[in-house]
Formats: sequence, C-alpha cells, structure tokens
Amino acid sequence: MVFGRISRIKSPFYPLLCLILLCALAAGCAPKIVKPNPPHPGFPGAYRAGPVAEQELQAVQANLKVIYFDYDQYTLVPEAQASLQYNAQILQQTPHVRIVAEGHCDERGTAEYNLALGERRARSAVNFLASLGIDPQRISTVSYGSELPADPGHNETAWAQNRRVYLRAVQ
Amino acid sequence: MILSHKINGNLAHHGRSMVLFFLLFFAVSVAAAPNPAFAKLVIDVSDPSLVRMPIAVGDFMSDQPGVINGAELARILKNDLHLTGLFQLVEIDPALPYAANGSPDFQKTSEMGIQALVSGQVHVQGDQLVLEARLYDVALQKQELGKRFTATNRQARQIVHRLGDRILDQLTGIPGCFSTRIAFAGAANPRELFSMDFDGHDLRQLTNNGSINLSPRWSPDGRSLLFTSYMRGQPETWWLETVTGKQALISGRPGLNASARYSPDGREIALSLNNKGIPKIFIISPQGDILKRLTDGRGNDISPSWSPDRSAIAYVSDQAGTPQIYLIPVNGGQPRRLTFESNYTTDPDWSPRGDLLTFTARIEGRFHICTIRTDGTDMRVLTREGSNQAPAWSPDGRMITFASTRDGQSRIWVMDARGTVQVPVSPIPGKAPAWGPEVR
Repeated sequence: MVFGRISRIKSPFYPLLCLILLCALAAGCAPKIVKPNPPHPGFPGAYRAGPVAEQELQAVQANLKVIYFDYDQYTLVPEAQASLQYNAQILQQTPHVRIVAEGHCDERGTAEYNLALGERRARSAVNFLASLGIDPQRISTVSYGSELPADPGHNETAWAQNRRVYLRAVQ
Repeated sequence: MILSHKINGNLAHHGRSMVLFFLLFFAVSVAAAPNPAFAKLVIDVSDPSLVRMPIAVGDFMSDQPGVINGAELARILKNDLHLTGLFQLVEIDPALPYAANGSPDFQKTSEMGIQALVSGQVHVQGDQLVLEARLYDVALQKQELGKRFTATNRQARQIVHRLGDRILDQLTGIPGCFSTRIAFAGAANPRELFSMDFDGHDLRQLTNNGSINLSPRWSPDGRSLLFTSYMRGQPETWWLETVTGKQALISGRPGLNASARYSPDGREIALSLNNKGIPKIFIISPQGDILKRLTDGRGNDISPSWSPDRSAIAYVSDQAGTPQIYLIPVNGGQPRRLTFESNYTTDPDWSPRGDLLTFTARIEGRFHICTIRTDGTDMRVLTREGSNQAPAWSPDGRMITFASTRDGQSRIWVMDARGTVQVPVSPIPGKAPAWGPEVR
C-alpha cells in the first residue's frame, strides 16, 4: 500500500521522498519483514525456539561439560553429577538455548544394545538436569550407540572418552 | 528366468541310498541331540558325533573352454557345500576319472574314500548357458540326481547355486540356501547399506544418503528392508524397496526408533521405541501405527526377534542389571529370562525351525556367537577368535551370518550352525548382517 501510493505521486519532490523513505527503512520504522527460520540440519524439533546468535551458541557450547559414564552403566557417577550441576547453571542463564543430549557408548558392546544404552545415558542426563530445574522440554535425546566414538582408539583411555553424553547447544 | 527339469526321469524316490541315510541321520542329530555336556559354557567346535560326508566335485567340462571356465564354476559349488559344514571336500583330478562307458570310475573314487560325487557339463547356446549336472552315490554306483539348468551367461553363478540347493535337498531333505542374499551395514563412514550374494559376490549398494544406516532386516518376500537411519538427524525406522530404491519413513517418534523386524507374515513390525524415555518393545503396523506396547518395567528393551510361528518374541532387556535375553508371548503374558550363563547376552535371532536362538554373549571379556535351545538348555559357543556380534540365521536354519573383527576390521562372516566352518564373505568392511529369504 505504502509503495503503491508513492508510485502515483507525480512531483519534482519524488526523489526526495524516496530518500526520506529509505532513511526511515534504515531507522527501522518501516514494516518488518518476518523471515522464517532456516531449516536446521539437525534434530527437527531443534528450531522451534527463536533465533539465537551463532556466537552465543558457540559460547554456551564451549562451556558445557561432557558427562562421562562407567562401563556398561547409565547411572551418574559423582563426577558426572558435578558436570551436570555446572551445565545446569549455564543453561539457567541461557533459557532460550535448546539442547540435544547425544548418548554414546564405547565399542565394547553390541551395536543394537548400545543404541538403547546410549538413549538411556542421554535420558539420565536429561532427568538430572530436570531435577535441577531445567525444563526437560528444552532437551531432546539422540542415541548414537557406539557409532560415533570421540576417540577412535581401542584402549581404556579411548573407551573412557567414548562413554559419554554430549550436550549440543542448538537454536 | 531359470528353467530346470530333471533329465533323468527314472530317478528312484524309493530305496534311498546309504549316503542319504547317513546325512539325514547326522542332520537330525545336529538339530536334536541335547547333550548334557553342554549344559554349561563349553567351546565346542569339534563335536565328534558329526562326521562330514566326503564329497568330490569334478571340474565342469565345457565344450568352449575359452568362454566358460568349468573349473571356476565347480569352485562355486565346492564353496557352497563347504560352507554348510556337512561335507568334507575331496580334491580329485581336475578331469573326473571316467570309465569306458562314460560314467564315473566308481572303483577309483571309492578307493579315495569319496561317498558322493558331482559332475557337470556346461555349454553355450547363443547367449544361453546350459549346465547339466549329476550327483552320484559312489558306494551304490548310482545316479541320485540329474539336473539341467539354463540361464543367461551373466547368471552363471546363480545356476551353480541352484544346483547346490538341489544337491542339498537330495542329500538332506531340505534345499540349500545358496541362492540367497545378505544385507549389511558398511563399517566405514558414511555407513550405507549393501547387499551381496551369501558367498560375498555381486555386491550392491542399497542406500546413498551419506548418513548412518544400521540394522537392515528383510521383509518376508525379500523385496524390501527395514532399517534404522540417521538421515534426518535421529535414529528412525525406514523402509526401502531394494529393486526400485523407493524409501519411506515408518517410525520417526522422539527418541529411539530402532531394531525393527517384520513378523513372519509381514503384517506387523516389532521394534524399540521410547516409552516415557525408556526404550521398550512395541508392535506397529507396516505403515507405522502403534498396535501395542509389548514390554513394561524399568529395563532398556531392544532387538526383538519373532518366533517363526509368530507367537513369541525374543528381545534384550537390562532390567536385571545386565543385558539378557527374554522371551515374551505376543498375545499377552509375562516375559521369561532365557540366558543366565554370561553377564552380557544380546542380539537374539530365532531360528527358522523354531528350536534354537542364536545370540551374542560376552565370555571372558570377548564377544562370541552362541546358540541356545528355547528352553534355556544346551548353550553352545560357536566362535572363539576376535570379537563377534549380530548373528542371523540363514533361511534354511543351517548357517549363521555374523560380524567379526578377527581379521582386524569388522567383516561379514558365515558359518554352519555348529561353527565348524567359518569364512569371511563381505568384500568390504561391514556389520549387522541380515540373511534374506529364498526369493523364487
């Protein structure tokens, strides 16, 4: 409507009007054009919340601690609980950041059961965060079983690194 | 299209030979003998009760040796027979010793201890390949089977497998499964799905989505597969028609949608889905609608396997603290724990005959392929090297395919149901094999 009206004005002031309008646009007075969020390549539920600056996501991600587990276990050892308490503080300060809890296992297990174990590890982390006041609706789970080791080695050090829940900060 | 008919119409169906009785007796004894010695964990790969039948396969004779390699074709059959674990392949002179009348020299082969003998002739008619093959009982000096197979030149391997199927049928009463294919997940990234002949030939890539694809399982008609894929970022159950490449999402609920298997009649799917955040066994329709939740409790439940009569499902649950195999009636009832011998038993696969399950057990820190009867007795450990997992029966119940790292990388292996013969077959690294049905 606005543009249609301007186009009908036959006046020597027309260039001036255009200039004024451009200034207004630059100042943010013009109607806002709302763009849909770009589809997120990860978990489909991950882009329901509003946009979060990429730098902020990176900052949150850099501070989140990885939660480690004992062999064959999905219960949270004291160190894992401490990591989650630390993570909960970060998440409380960034309520608009969503989280994907990725559950992983080491290679010393069978692939399909490891999917279940990875899912349960992720769920253990979500439940503990919920007990600390983090809305579980902010967190989705993905189990990767033993498919994506953090350390490709075949020794105790590698296995300990691979039995983990990685909290991925997403929009 | 493979045409086949008997070229020897007067093959006696009465008065089955000593050869036949021999194999039938031992085939039955393999399947049925509950040996108290195996009540506990015993690595048993040399049960003396099975004596393998000495069999010889002569190089197939070809009237155009440059075009068709008769020795190569005979090798396909020898490998088939070897992999069943039922035969001792006896090497004989490349050209069979023939008597003056054109029939095999039974005297000579008998002196070598050979009990069964296969001969074959191949010739080319245009683009058609014709294989004429005979199976002889050496002791009785009698032809047991005569078959003529016609196919295109490109199907040479297939018609030799068909011959093997018929030889097994003749000698044991149950056809072989040499004409079947195995699907598996590649072990390298991206983890696409592949299929191959059961002996590792004719490798075909089935998916190309650049993601992680796991746990393929065939539909009963062998035309499609269910599998778990991360192509949308989380583990979801997908359907794939192998010939057309057509795909459809079957279950994409939040959390796990994994280890889906068709029921034997193809009308239902059992799989693991989250129930309040805990993976449980559900039954859904082939379209993906939930029909019922089968398991309850606090355990993580996964890897369902249907009994061949569809009445029960074996699955893995860690409700007792470690993953163990349980059986549960499909139409209501309590689960019964099947395995107690190891603190880690997973990957159950119910045998097509219904009497056994094969599964993975952790024994002294290593994973091994085992079998157990459905009443929980007679557990046998079939592997003893490397790390082995994900066993699946052949459709005739005589062989098991599994993934093993004993050569360094994870590859697909096949073995007979007693573990006497174990051979790697996949030409590329792979895991999670699924043995397809016989497709006629």
